[in-house]
Amino acid sequence: MATAAAPKSHAACRNSSNPYHECSEYCFRVIAAGGGGAEVRQPDAELPTSFGKEAEPRIILRGRDASKDAGSVETKDAEEDTPAVVKEPEDLGIDPAAYDAMTPTQKRLFDLRLKLNMARKANQLAIVAEKKREDAPEEPRGVSKQKWFEEKKRKVGKQLEANGLDMSKAYMLDTQEDAEDKYKKWEKKPAPFGWDVFNQKSLYNGYIKRTKNIEVNPEEYAKAREADPDFYRDGASLQYGKQVPIPEENIERMVKELEDRGKNRKEFSRRRKFHDERDIDSINDRNEHFNRKIERAFGKYTVEIKNNLERGTALPD
Amino acid sequence: MEITPFQEPSRISNNKDGDPALTVFLTRKETEVELPLPMHVKNKNPAPVQITTQQILLVTSELQEAEIRLPKQKIIDAEELAEYRLRKRKEFEDLVRRLRWNTSVWVKYAQWEESQRDFARARSIWERAIEVDYTNWTLWLKYSEMEMKNRFVNHARNVWDRAVSLLPRIDQLWYKYIHMEEMLGNFPGARQIFERWMIWEPDHDGWAAYINFELRYNEIERARWIYDRYVECHPGEKAWIRYAKFEVKNGEIARGRLCYQRALNQLGEDDVIEEFFIAFANFEERCKELERARVIYEYALDHIPKGKAENIYEKFVQFEKQYGDREGIDNLISRKIR
Repeated sequence: MATAAAPKSHAACRNSSNPYHECSEYCFRVIAAGGGGAEVRQPDAELPTSFGKEAEPRIILRGRDASKDAGSVETKDAEEDTPAVVKEPEDLGIDPAAYDAMTPTQKRLFDLRLKLNMARKANQLAIVAEKKREDAPEEPRGVSKQKWFEEKKRKVGKQLEANGLDMSKAYMLDTQEDAEDKYKKWEKKPAPFGWDVFNQKSLYNGYIKRTKNIEVNPEEYAKAREADPDFYRDGASLQYGKQVPIPEENIERMVKELEDRGKNRKEFSRRRKFHDERDIDSINDRNEHFNRKIERAFGKYTVEIKNNLERGTALPD
Repeated sequence: MEITPFQEPSRISNNKDGDPALTVFLTRKETEVELPLPMHVKNKNPAPVQITTQQILLVTSELQEAEIRLPKQKIIDAEELAEYRLRKRKEFEDLVRRLRWNTSVWVKYAQWEESQRDFARARSIWERAIEVDYTNWTLWLKYSEMEMKNRFVNHARNVWDRAVSLLPRIDQLWYKYIHMEEMLGNFPGARQIFERWMIWEPDHDGWAAYINFELRYNEIERARWIYDRYVECHPGEKAWIRYAKFEVKNGEIARGRLCYQRALNQLGEDDVIEEFFIAFANFEERCKELERARVIYEYALDHIPKGKAENIYEKFVQFEKQYGDREGIDNLISRKIR
C-alpha cells in the first residue's frame, strides 16, 4: 500500500511523509531495525534505474505477501510478476501494522529477504563499479602506451562482438578517414632521387639507419661508466684527445661496419643494359656519354627539331 | 740616287728549277693557287645513292678496331713491382699536375696508394688534396675512412678533429665522427663531441641525434636536460611538441602538460600556430581531460585568424562528435558559419 505522499517510499519508512522520498537500503535497514532517524538521501543515483525499480516492488510485494500469507512460496511467483506490477499504488509499501502483526518467523523471513535484496543491490553496484574501472582506468602516472593499446583492443573487441564480427575483421570498424590514414602509412615513401641523396634530411636519415644497427650493450655501457670518473663530459673537457684504451673487438666492429657500408654504396647505382639495336649517334665513348646526358635533359623538348633534321625538311606547321 | 725598278732577286730566278729549300722568298706566281671556275649546280635532284649520318656512324663503329690496351702482365718479383709502382706514380702525378682541381683524380691516386699499402704516401697525397681544397668535405670523409678502415684510430681521430674544426657546419662530418666514437665504445668521447657540436647550435636533426644517443643508453635525465637546451636554442612549436611527446612517452604526463604550458608562455599568445594547439588538444584528449581539450580548441579558434584555422575546425568537430553532445556540435558549426 503506497502512501499517496511518497509513492516510491516504503510505508513503514519514517520519511514516507516526504513526497519525494525514495526508500534506499538505509531506510530498509532502519525499518528492519524498527528505529527512527533523520531523512536520508538516496545514494543510488548512478545505479541503473531498472535495478531500483525492480528491487523496491519486490520488497513491497513480499512484505504484502508476507503480511497476507506467512512463509508462502508464492512470493517467488510474485517476484516474477514484479515488472508488470511496478506502478500500481497498492503494491508499494508495507503496511506497518501488517509488519507488526507478523509472527517472529515471518519477521525473520521478511528480514532475510530484505537482506538478500540488499545484497543483490550491492552486487549490482559492484558490477557497475568494476565496469567503470575497466573502461577508463585512472592512472596516476598518466596514460601508458601499453595500457592504452590494450584498452583500445578491448573496446574494438566489444564493438565487434556487438556487430557479430571476428577480431580479424577489426578493419570494418574504421571510418573512411581512418582507413585513408592507414593506407598513407603503408605507402612506401619514395627514396631520394638525384641530388636529393645529398641533402641534409637524407644524410640525417642515413645516420639514423646506421644507429639503428648499433647493438646496444648495457653491460658494456655500465662498465664504461664505472671505469671513467669523467663520464659525462662537457664540450671543453680536457679529457679530449687523451689516449683511450680501446678493445680490439670494438675496432673490428667499426671496420666491419665500414666495409658493409662500402658494399652498400657499391650497389647504389646499377649497371644498365647495353642496347645494341639502338642507333649509334656518337663517334666516341665520351661522345656517347654526352649524348645520353643531353638526351635526358633536352630530349623531350627537341623531338620535333630532331625529326625535321632526320627527314631533311621541316614540316609546314 | 737613281731609282731602279724593282727587280726580283736574281738568286730566285736562277733557282727556279733548283732546290726549293734554297729559296727564301716565293714569287707571286708560285703562291698562286689555280682554282677551277665557279660552277653553278645544274642538277638539283637527289643523288641516286643516299647515305645518312647514321649509316656513316654505324659503318665506322663496326670498322673500328678495339682500343689498344697494355697486355696484362703478371708481376713476378720485387723489381717488377717497383717498376710498376714507379710507372703508376708517374702517371698519377702527371694527371694530378694537369687536373689539380679535380677531386676524383686525387681520390683515385690516394686510394691506389692505399691499395699498395703505402700509408705514408697515401697520407701525404690526402694532405696535398686538402691543401688544394679544404672545403670539399668528401675529401675529409674519404681520408678519415681510409684511416678508420686500416685501423689507425688515433690518426682517424686527428683527421676528424681537423675536419670538424674547419667545417663545423657540415653535419655529416659530425655524424660520422660521433658514430666512430660510439662504435669504438668511447661513450664519454662521443658525448664530448656532441657537446662541442651543440655549441654551434645545429638544426633540429642535430639535437635529435644527440637526444637519441642519450636515449639509446637510457639516460633519461640527461635527455631531459638536452631537451631544455634544445627548446631554448630553437624556440618554436616543433621543438616544444617534440619535448612534450618525449615526456608523454616516458609516462610523465604532468611534465608533458608543463611543457605545453611553458611553450605557450615562451611563444607568447599570438604567435602560436595551429599545429601546436592541435597537438596540445590531442594530448589532453589522450589524458581524458575533455574539458581542457575543449577549452584549448576554443582558445585556438579565438586566437587564430579564420583563414588559417581550417585544421582546427576539422579536429574540433571530430572531437565533439566523439565526446561532445549535440549542442556542442551545433555551437561549433554556428561559429564556423560566423
